[in-house]
Amino acid sequence: MQAILSFEQAPPMAAPFRFFLTAPLFALLAGLLLLVAGPEALLSRWTPGALALTHLVALGFVLQVMLGAMIQILPVVAGANLSHPLWVARIVHALLLAGVLCLAGSFLGWFSGFVPAAALLGAGVGCFILMAALSLRGVPPTSATITGLKVALLSLAAVLALGIALAGGMGGSWSLPMVETIHAHAGWGLAGWGLGLLSAVAYVVVPMFQLTPLYPHWFSRFFGGSLLAVAVLATPAVLFGHDVLAGLLQALLVWIAAVFCAMTLWLQARSKRARPDTTQRLWRGAMQSGLAACALWALVALVPALGERDEWPLLFGVLVLAGGYMSVIIGMLYKVVPFLVWLHLQNRGRGKVVAPNMKAVLAEAPMQRQMRVHFAACALLAGGVLWPAGLARPAGLAMVASAVLLAINLLSALGVYRRHAALVDARLAELGLAEAGVGRRA
Amino acid sequence: MKHPKSDRVIDARGLEPPEPFVLTMDALDRLPKGEKLLLLLYREPYPLYKALANNGFAHEAEQLVDGTVEILIWHADA
Repeated sequence: MQAILSFEQAPPMAAPFRFFLTAPLFALLAGLLLLVAGPEALLSRWTPGALALTHLVALGFVLQVMLGAMIQILPVVAGANLSHPLWVARIVHALLLAGVLCLAGSFLGWFSGFVPAAALLGAGVGCFILMAALSLRGVPPTSATITGLKVALLSLAAVLALGIALAGGMGGSWSLPMVETIHAHAGWGLAGWGLGLLSAVAYVVVPMFQLTPLYPHWFSRFFGGSLLAVAVLATPAVLFGHDVLAGLLQALLVWIAAVFCAMTLWLQARSKRARPDTTQRLWRGAMQSGLAACALWALVALVPALGERDEWPLLFGVLVLAGGYMSVIIGMLYKVVPFLVWLHLQNRGRGKVVAPNMKAVLAEAPMQRQMRVHFAACALLAGGVLWPAGLARPAGLAMVASAVLLAINLLSALGVYRRHAALVDARLAELGLAEAGVGRRA
Repeated sequence: MKHPKSDRVIDARGLEPPEPFVLTMDALDRLPKGEKLLLLLYREPYPLYKALANNGFAHEAEQLVDGTVEILIWHADA
């Protein structure tokens, strides 16, 4: 019955893969930037280096993989079919890459490209939001995942709108309260979009790949809506400077994030797997880092003197972006990429040639090696915030090493696909079945 | 494993992808016309539904309180 394995709904492999394969390049650029700029980049979150670094990681790595993954998961977890997925992927990918590079160069003062960056990112991410929203139109909210995906998309639209407003402000097109808008932009990005998408996907992938119990119904049912409601309420409070109300609502968002991290760790502790694999360890590290970020937020709220120091927002950013989102994303890449290689080889083989085992596509040992270097980079980055003179460059070096190892791992999986695809084609040719090879579109 | 809905049951709730899909396909390969296969999962397998329809199978899914999704599959022309 292998012929049935043709997933008619699966987007072409090149659609998500282009995002996955170029994402490590931006982690590499972020590491190189830190290596070159050195301690000065980590003196405050407002330095050109810190701003460029943040956006290379947040947009170039985190957002890029998330968009690629969404193209893949919309049909799988929501039954929502993105129309023309390969074209959408090509356009969004090209505009995103150009936009991130333009933005990073502008932050570094190499050229004044904030407005073109906003136009490129606005067109690319806007195109993705539109196409994803169209695919989800009419899909009933029968699961927390579908609701969560909708919350995430709405939030991404808010992040984008605020980002374009900020870019216009930076480029001198108009004036606006910059600090307040930056807070709203970051809040929607980290909580609404990031956590909204992460939680929506987690309800499916944590039990599925990590063999844990399901997220409790009371939790998944209300999580996405609560996140959206608090983010919506917090926005005017932040933008119009109602400090007390904004502080309370932001604290509530942090608590919601902490509950998600704690719940995921609790589920992971109940996994049926005897020994956690690399993905599970990356998720665990991410959730611990997320909890540490929440604890830091609480500490700053309790000790206002800490809030006046330049280190804390940077440390919070490192714990959330590098320790949290990057870790989870690397963990997911290590499941999704071998699975897609297996799936497309299975389709290509048309039931006549069996695909290799997923563990043969990407072995545990190289994944673990990269994971260790990534966690070392996170620790050095956190340390670099507190002691820039001593640890900023080692952190940059570790980021470079982690990105290179990740790229090697992903490219080796692609190599397995290419080698095996050639074998499949040869075998099908022997059987006189070559012309109609399913999976050619990959 | 026996179940009131079918004697042919695949409990894939503790299995990692792609094992549930492969097991289901293998079982459908041997499913006689007139009989039904029951697949238990913790999620709705949307890609499977499409593959089933394309290959002449009908299905019926029911979500239970504990999060289990029961998918009953049979030959559409049986």
